[in-house]
Amino acid sequence: MASIPVPDRVAAPPSKDSDVTGRTGKQWLLKPELPDSHVVSTRIYTDPEIFQEEVEKIWSRVWLPVCHESELPEPLDFRTTGLAGNKPIVVVRGEDNRIRAFLNICPHRSNLIVRSPAGNLRKPEPSGNANHMTCMYHGWQFNAKGQCVEIPRAQSYQGRVCKEASGLRQLRTEVGYGGMVWVNLDDGCGPLADFIGPALDPMLEQLETEPLEIFHYQKGIVRTNYKLFFDTSREFYHDYLHFHNRQTSMVKSGYFEQKYTTHPNGHSVTGFTTVDYSSHSDTGTRLLTFPGLPRNGWRHTTLFPASAYNIRTSCLRVNVMIPLSDRETLVEIRGFGLKRDTPGEREQRVKDYVSVWGPFGWNLHEDLLCAQVQTQAIQQGSGAEWNVIAREEENKVHDEVCVRSYYAEWARLMGRNPAEPR
Amino acid sequence: MTYIPPEILQPIQQLVYRSCLFMNDESWKDYLALCDPQSFRYRVTNYSPEIRKDQVWADRDFKAMKASFDLLPRHNSDRSKLTRQVSIYTVDYDDGAREANVVSALTVYRTQLDGVNSYIDSGQTSLYAVGLYKDRIKVTDDAAKLMERVVQLDTRQLDIGSHKPF
Repeated sequence: MASIPVPDRVAAPPSKDSDVTGRTGKQWLLKPELPDSHVVSTRIYTDPEIFQEEVEKIWSRVWLPVCHESELPEPLDFRTTGLAGNKPIVVVRGEDNRIRAFLNICPHRSNLIVRSPAGNLRKPEPSGNANHMTCMYHGWQFNAKGQCVEIPRAQSYQGRVCKEASGLRQLRTEVGYGGMVWVNLDDGCGPLADFIGPALDPMLEQLETEPLEIFHYQKGIVRTNYKLFFDTSREFYHDYLHFHNRQTSMVKSGYFEQKYTTHPNGHSVTGFTTVDYSSHSDTGTRLLTFPGLPRNGWRHTTLFPASAYNIRTSCLRVNVMIPLSDRETLVEIRGFGLKRDTPGEREQRVKDYVSVWGPFGWNLHEDLLCAQVQTQAIQQGSGAEWNVIAREEENKVHDEVCVRSYYAEWARLMGRNPAEPR
Repeated sequence: MTYIPPEILQPIQQLVYRSCLFMNDESWKDYLALCDPQSFRYRVTNYSPEIRKDQVWADRDFKAMKASFDLLPRHNSDRSKLTRQVSIYTVDYDDGAREANVVSALTVYRTQLDGVNSYIDSGQTSLYAVGLYKDRIKVTDDAAKLMERVVQLDTRQLDIGSHKPF
């Protein structure tokens, strides 16, 4: 692959003034002489108008994993969650064992219906019957299929408002890829499998051989644009950020030969590798694994627009970012083991997991710290103008091809060029 | 409630309070000196109403705790100061085993340094976490030693997390 020549105007002395050893203001503002695919305007991270457009054109049209089936194992179990654009969601397992998702808004006066993060509808609430989702405001009740089953003193509507026409807004819902519950706000969307395509094929054996079970749930509101945090999932050039990864991965032979594969719809896969955990004195060795995964094996897939599957030999992490605004992101991170784990195995998986990830793990803190600090630098008017994503290494691990493929998909859906978004 | 003589109670109380002072000062070596190397286990736990399960967010023995302290300077961290404030609720002492179970209220404050934008935020203090310390402490003729500490958090949102234990 031909390398891109370094433009003279960047390499040349910046000014006749010998005291100026950096770039002048004018030089700093110049767009790097790179193809548009290799540079991103920082405006896409800071412009509230672009953010609102993202909610409409991206977040309202893609499949997103909102929880795991093991979070609602019994009939009438529920889980409240949400999507970008301040959309509250409730996921319910019906008495028919089918999992459905609804907008968690009462059609009467738009109150939140289910308030608890999780539970079972058999438990009586102060204002409502068991087995139903009951809006505490006026007592309207909905069953696990989203049908309105009770309107107190409905006769006062004189037939103008009735239960039959007052069901909940149901969302397209599928369960798959390791038992994640996926929803899509677009009633006309294609099936989940069409959206994922082959992106999760390399880890299907790990995900589908036997049931998984959640053991870790962490969330936090991070002061960053979701794309900035997600960028750290799309390339491993940033392994320089992580001492753990430098010790356990970068020093291993073959590390620089890992290759990325980009897939339709903006997804990407990092090539399989193994990790030498024993070379980091705090994270020890890994004794357990997932079905079909060699010991110390590592697989990683990122899914557009902001979720990722990451298996580090003994534990699976699935994270999803829900943007709250152009500068705030709710990060939700789940850890999984095998449902059949013995207590001892589960304890070991949890130990492995929290040594690297989790709020006290080595790597997650560094990724979030970096995104948060980067966001401080990329504020409107700060002077940050361009992000360069120009590394080309034949799709190998420090290539930035997956960041470029991400923004190519972003451009396709947004109808904007990320290098020139105006 | 059983009476605990002051010569036993005071070293137990001192241990709990000193453990916070040493952690606040990031005097990790001094903190470890309060711990019993053979039995020490440190865990951070919470109950998640989201997944309706007890969770473990850190699980380290003495060796792993020491390794994590030793590695701190090698990692990129939010270096904001954490201040742990405790009030001892209860001390239950088993005279035969010469062990005490101590439950303390824990409050962690964070004083910003470089985790966001130090020019703007450094020096700001905010409440970071609340929970309990559940300690198991052995009492010898020489000293009290920390055998086990469970940091049972009520707080479950720790924004970007922390490399430094509570």
